[in-house]
Amino acid sequence: MPIENMSGPRPDYSRYMDIEKGWVDRRIFADQAIYEQELYQIFARCWLFLAHDSQIPKPGDFITTHMGEDSVIVVRQKDNTVKAFLNSCTHRGNKVCFADAGNSRRFVCNYHGWSFDTAGELTGMHEEYCYEEGDINKADWGLKQVAQIDSYKGLIFATFDETAPSLETFLGDFRWYLDALLDNEEGGTEFVGGTIKSVIGANWKFGVENFIGDALHAGWTHDSGCRAMNNGEPFPPVDMQNSFHASVNGHGWEFGMEGVGDIFLLGRPKVMEYYERIRPQMAKRLGEVRSKIFGSVASASIFPNVSFLPGIHTFRTWNPKGPYELELKTFVIVNKEMAEEIKDDITKGVMCTFGPGGAFEMDDGENWENCTTVNRGVVTRQEKLHYGCGISRKIDHPDMPGTIYRGQYNDSNQRLFYQRWADMMNAQGWDDVPERHKSQLNGRATRDIPSMKKA
Amino acid sequence: MSIVAYFKEEGTAATSVELISEVEQRLYREMRFLDDEEYRKWTDMMTADVHYFMPGIETRYRKDKTDQMNDLSRMAYYNDNLEELGKRIDRLETGTAWSEDPATRYCHIISNIEVETTANPDEVLVYSNFLVYRNRLERDEDTLIGNRKDLWRREDGVLKLARRRILLKQNVLISKNMNVYF
Repeated sequence: MPIENMSGPRPDYSRYMDIEKGWVDRRIFADQAIYEQELYQIFARCWLFLAHDSQIPKPGDFITTHMGEDSVIVVRQKDNTVKAFLNSCTHRGNKVCFADAGNSRRFVCNYHGWSFDTAGELTGMHEEYCYEEGDINKADWGLKQVAQIDSYKGLIFATFDETAPSLETFLGDFRWYLDALLDNEEGGTEFVGGTIKSVIGANWKFGVENFIGDALHAGWTHDSGCRAMNNGEPFPPVDMQNSFHASVNGHGWEFGMEGVGDIFLLGRPKVMEYYERIRPQMAKRLGEVRSKIFGSVASASIFPNVSFLPGIHTFRTWNPKGPYELELKTFVIVNKEMAEEIKDDITKGVMCTFGPGGAFEMDDGENWENCTTVNRGVVTRQEKLHYGCGISRKIDHPDMPGTIYRGQYNDSNQRLFYQRWADMMNAQGWDDVPERHKSQLNGRATRDIPSMKKA
Repeated sequence: MSIVAYFKEEGTAATSVELISEVEQRLYREMRFLDDEEYRKWTDMMTADVHYFMPGIETRYRKDKTDQMNDLSRMAYYNDNLEELGKRIDRLETGTAWSEDPATRYCHIISNIEVETTANPDEVLVYSNFLVYRNRLERDEDTLIGNRKDLWRREDGVLKLARRRILLKQNVLISKNMNVYF
């Protein structure tokens, strides 16, 4: 059974936007009742990112994280599979793990000593003799498991909804794009050690929508960051003919085709050299098109709340904490095959650009906070926001899957993100969720498909 | 990932009141420059090979031996040399650093200063605690508290900051950004 939505009748969420005309209603960023529905309809249903395989390489390795506002533990099992379960004791509900990460053979509640193994099974409790025959069947009182868990090229996802489609179906043809990040070199990717978390007083969707398609803000919001990292030079002009938005059922990637812009913004010449060296290999592996998409000025989000910058190597989740707050978790993603020196150089570059003290990141938070908090005003809240940029530039591109719009300065990925948001908010079950982009690649490995002409 | 034995030096408690006072005055002056946004004057107080390090610290159990304070390959708020610090400051001088205009109001408070001499007569270890308050716009407010361990080196008679490790006492940075120095 999917997680039961305990609230009453819901409105038609499609009315909070008109993606043909290009506007979105501000109440979706401010209304407590809408936020509660997001937790049920989106975060308790969708596949959510939990961890990278490399964060928990050995049996007993764990990290703790959140799925929506639900606290979960993600653990590597003895057979190398991964399990994830609620971080909440089945006795009185206390947390059973208080660390961000580590290695453990069991998770023991501090309250009454209930003890759970790494698979989440209840194995014993303090003063167990006081439970008599018939009081408890321990097998029934393990930690609540996620309904499904799976991974795509190192990224581990889970859903609380057993009726959700497979992860492959959920990601769909977006896998073709993800391969440019996750599979551009033999060996795949890993996360650098550590996690940096911060609090932004903004609605979670502002982070996601910014990364899914807001190339336009970069040259203005981040003018100071770009000049700082780039010897006083502003952002280069965008080639509107040869840059695109690609959307697949709410996931989105906006990108140029010049291949170097984001790597350049990292400000690390050795990293630039590294990619120049492997680019011919990358082109053989993924095809010319994706070898140019990777590294270009670009940004991307996986529905509902994962974002990354290919080439800059920041990877993050925007975790909901009420309509007016999000918790940002950031990671650094690198290729496993890279020399330590390159990995260290990338890590320094990410923290100089997209850490909380990074020259780019520090100007984002204040924008999103104010985009959010102004909606405390009941008059302001009733005004629409404009999302009409590039609304007539939809094209069919022979090489690329998904819904494609021409011109990197465009609101299309954002419009389609909010369309998916409304689809999820309205659906009684997954059967009601419309497939806005019909998959052409389902059931097939996407790495070896260089372009849709060859699909 | 490479683990570097980074900042494990120990010294001997300084006995010279003159030296202790000199160090204290250097620390206070630094913080006055930061309060006044005189960032170039601040970095002028550093050696050319300065390393400015503020690791991100995860919450881990006591038995966990991950060296979060000294492993330079892990994620860090700051892991900067002078050039990298300089780039962050360049941003503030572009005129388009929107999140600093109107200006943020800063106050850096330093206490618990302890000076140790080392085997090298030109170098001293300095421990201190900080409380950094910032306030901007109407009621944006952050209080950042932590410890520092520094290495100061005498160059041409003047003590300069050669190494600083900053440990912030927050797991989740309770702020939208870290546009602040310590």
